[in-house]
Amino acid sequence: MNLLNCLILAFLLFGIGVWGLMRRRHLIGMLISIELMLNAANINFISFAYFTAHDATAGALFSIFVIAVTACEMAIALAIIVTMYRRHKSLDADQLRDLHD
Amino acid sequence: MSQYIPNFIIPDALLLLFPFIVIGSRLFCDYKSKIPWRIANFGFIAIFILLNLIPLASGEGRFFISNWRVDDFGVLMREVLMVSAILGMWLSKDYFEHGADGKPQMHQIAEFIGAIAFATFGGFTVVSACDLLTFFLGLEIATIPMYALTAWNKQDQMGSEAATKYILMGSVATAFELFGFSYLYGFAGSLHFNEIQHAITNGTSPLLWLSVLFLFCGIGFKLTLFPFYTWAPDVYEGAPTPVTAVLSVTSKATAIAFLVVLVYGPLAPIQQQIAPLIALLAGVTLFVGNLGALKQSRLRRFMAYSSIAQAGYIMVALLGPATMGKTAIVYYLFVYAVSNYLAFFIFGIIGHHREETFASLRGLSKQNPSLAIALAISMFSLAGIPPLAGFFGKFHLFFSGASTGHYVLVAFAVLNNVLALFYYLQLIKSAWVDEPDGHLTPLRLTKRQRGVVILLSIAVVVIGFMPFLSDNIFAGFNL
Repeated sequence: MNLLNCLILAFLLFGIGVWGLMRRRHLIGMLISIELMLNAANINFISFAYFTAHDATAGALFSIFVIAVTACEMAIALAIIVTMYRRHKSLDADQLRDLHD
Repeated sequence: MSQYIPNFIIPDALLLLFPFIVIGSRLFCDYKSKIPWRIANFGFIAIFILLNLIPLASGEGRFFISNWRVDDFGVLMREVLMVSAILGMWLSKDYFEHGADGKPQMHQIAEFIGAIAFATFGGFTVVSACDLLTFFLGLEIATIPMYALTAWNKQDQMGSEAATKYILMGSVATAFELFGFSYLYGFAGSLHFNEIQHAITNGTSPLLWLSVLFLFCGIGFKLTLFPFYTWAPDVYEGAPTPVTAVLSVTSKATAIAFLVVLVYGPLAPIQQQIAPLIALLAGVTLFVGNLGALKQSRLRRFMAYSSIAQAGYIMVALLGPATMGKTAIVYYLFVYAVSNYLAFFIFGIIGHHREETFASLRGLSKQNPSLAIALAISMFSLAGIPPLAGFFGKFHLFFSGASTGHYVLVAFAVLNNVLALFYYLQLIKSAWVDEPDGHLTPLRLTKRQRGVVILLSIAVVVIGFMPFLSDNIFAGFNL
């Protein structure tokens, strides 16, 4: 295992996240894709901290902070999605079209 | 006490404490009580006054625990953010008393103000950050309350749809930024801005360029730059009007501050290399914003496109040298905040009685001439017509861009200003020229609304007619 492998893994995860976000029409599926993208960044931080950085603690700490912040963000996202669900009784992203030009 | 807590940190500490006090006071009062509202007013204004007492000191700024920097740019940005928070609070008050623009009444004013205060504190954190972690946390503290604010009206379907779009787009933006940060960390081996700058001075690598690309994608979402602006009109239209106003000023100011800190801080050695990217984004963004605004008929959607275009204008100043660019941006943000809030207050007053559309403005000049004059002042200022504040703001922005020789972009921006004038004039036309169809419901202004509209109109005119004010700002300190 070396740095390049980790970076490629993270990049692939990020790409899968972007792909999933575009292909999925289900709101929870989209949230999971976003989660994948955020965790790809975490893998980057940890692998840079492990292999190269001279300030290794900072990178490892950063990923812990990211996990906490992401949890907050997802909590609010789920709360908003619940209000959407109460109104439409479905979680299809295509129903988001009341607002348009 | 002052040997443990230096003076310049007091406003920040108070602002962090403030939302807890306001929300906590709800526990001890009954539902209808006015006490949380009074505490909120007192607290915000006290913090704003304390901020103004901080003497500006040029140079590196002052440090608190080595990682919290309070420099001149930071202090002035704090003042802009506080102005935005106070005006947003005053604007929101009426929406908690009765519904407006076809939306039901909102509830929980204390928590609403608390959320605005948290978002403002996020902006404070962004301007005082010295390392990537603080920087990232600041941006998130500024953004996450905004998602909740957008969905504040639970009975309103448009609000929850707007919030869903906003949080999906916002989280993607966060992911892009974070990915950029991780590459920047990998490139420099440290999170601290000085060490990143040092590493960049010693040489660049593809990792750095990849990181810059991701960072600009991420901030492009938050700043509504060209390919990433599509969420803004929907969110601005779906959110409650006071939240739209806060979004268009606080959130935009925070995103701009983010770019300023980044471009003039860690990325300063490669500012010349990324200038073409900034110029391209600025030019396309202001063009797209202006084109989009041309065909709008709903007021908040129109303001969304107008604010997209304004983001483009502000980006022009990022091309200039550090001091000039920073001063121009702070000054313009202040002018923009005042003009934008003036417009939103007027739209709010109209929205309490009718729909917020261009058609509702008809006959305003006959029905309430002073309001029509205030509307004209705010629109001319946003368009940048000479005697008003907006002109001097734009002048300094363009001057900063031109000082490093980006004449083509500046010429393009000035031409676009003519295009912008067309749609701002259309709005003024519907207020002054178009005849109303049928009977108009009379407009009633509360004392607060009248006071704020008069205050803001005077501010816009005075800042414009007394350019020495801005000259003093420009000559008085060194950012």
